[in-house]
Amino acid sequence: MRSITKLSLVVAALVLTGTALQAQTNNASITATASVQTPINVVGAQQLNFGNVFPGVNKTIAATDLANAGRFDVTGQASTPVTLSFTLPATLSSGGNTMPIVSYTGVHALLVTQAGGVAFSPVAGATPTLSGTGALFVWVGAQVQPATNQVAGVYTGSIVMTVVY
Amino acid sequence: MKRESWVLIAVMLLGVPLSLAAQGKPLTVTGVRGVTFGAVLPGVPRVVLRTDPANSGQFDIRGPKGGPVLLSFVLPLRMTGPAGALMPIVFGASDAGFSSTQSIGSQVGFDPRQPTTVIFPSNGNVSVFVGATANPGTNQRAGAYTGTIILTVTYL
Repeated sequence: MRSITKLSLVVAALVLTGTALQAQTNNASITATASVQTPINVVGAQQLNFGNVFPGVNKTIAATDLANAGRFDVTGQASTPVTLSFTLPATLSSGGNTMPIVSYTGVHALLVTQAGGVAFSPVAGATPTLSGTGALFVWVGAQVQPATNQVAGVYTGSIVMTVVY
Repeated sequence: MKRESWVLIAVMLLGVPLSLAAQGKPLTVTGVRGVTFGAVLPGVPRVVLRTDPANSGQFDIRGPKGGPVLLSFVLPLRMTGPAGALMPIVFGASDAGFSSTQSIGSQVGFDPRQPTTVIFPSNGNVSVFVGATANPGTNQRAGAYTGTIILTVTYL
């Protein structure tokens, strides 16, 4: 066999070997898919307003008081349960003076009119379900207890509501 | 070099593919089913187990009868959604499963993040199942998200 023929044979063998080895690997792919739903949005829509308070006279705002109860408006994925939790102040402040705020009450409803509303304790939280349009309204009431020598002034505190799916 | 030596070299080289081919069917990998998380709520992780018959991913492999095979994945770190929004996807140490009977109920778990060697059964047909966890942020943009999982199979 001539050298050139021998060389061709070896090269051909190498090529065939390489081709065969390449064919020993194969792959395929699949797809991971997810459909992310509407994020939750919470708006502090109305302040809890006690108005004028007199020293030594407790004042209560009911959660059903549409004019003065605090209100949060929630939007999110329609017909989906959520968990409500609250950070509630124990006192309101005016400069260095404080005034106790106690006895929190709550109502959640699917309509802003509070029709069909459900009472709950903000201290314990609640697990309502968003409406078919993804809405929920939450009202908060409480009682302030000014001392007989309560210093006059404007007292404020922050109520924080957290909503998660 | 003598003629016999050249012939021997050629036979040896040609013998390699012949011996591999003799192991059985050609190697084929097929993506049968994707990993389906379905509806995912912002801030709420969604887990799909590899044993989930409806939502786990599945690859079917036809290959060597009784041969060792290397399985290696290319896994996404994130899924891509609307306007380029990204959502993390995590694969755990036992989120892949190998079934020599192609049954989702009879798997041996393995780590899809590491190349893994398995032995094919005598019929050369196996399945690989995949699970994962989607981790949407609390403000995750709503919409459809996708990611690609690639399985590469290599004869050893």
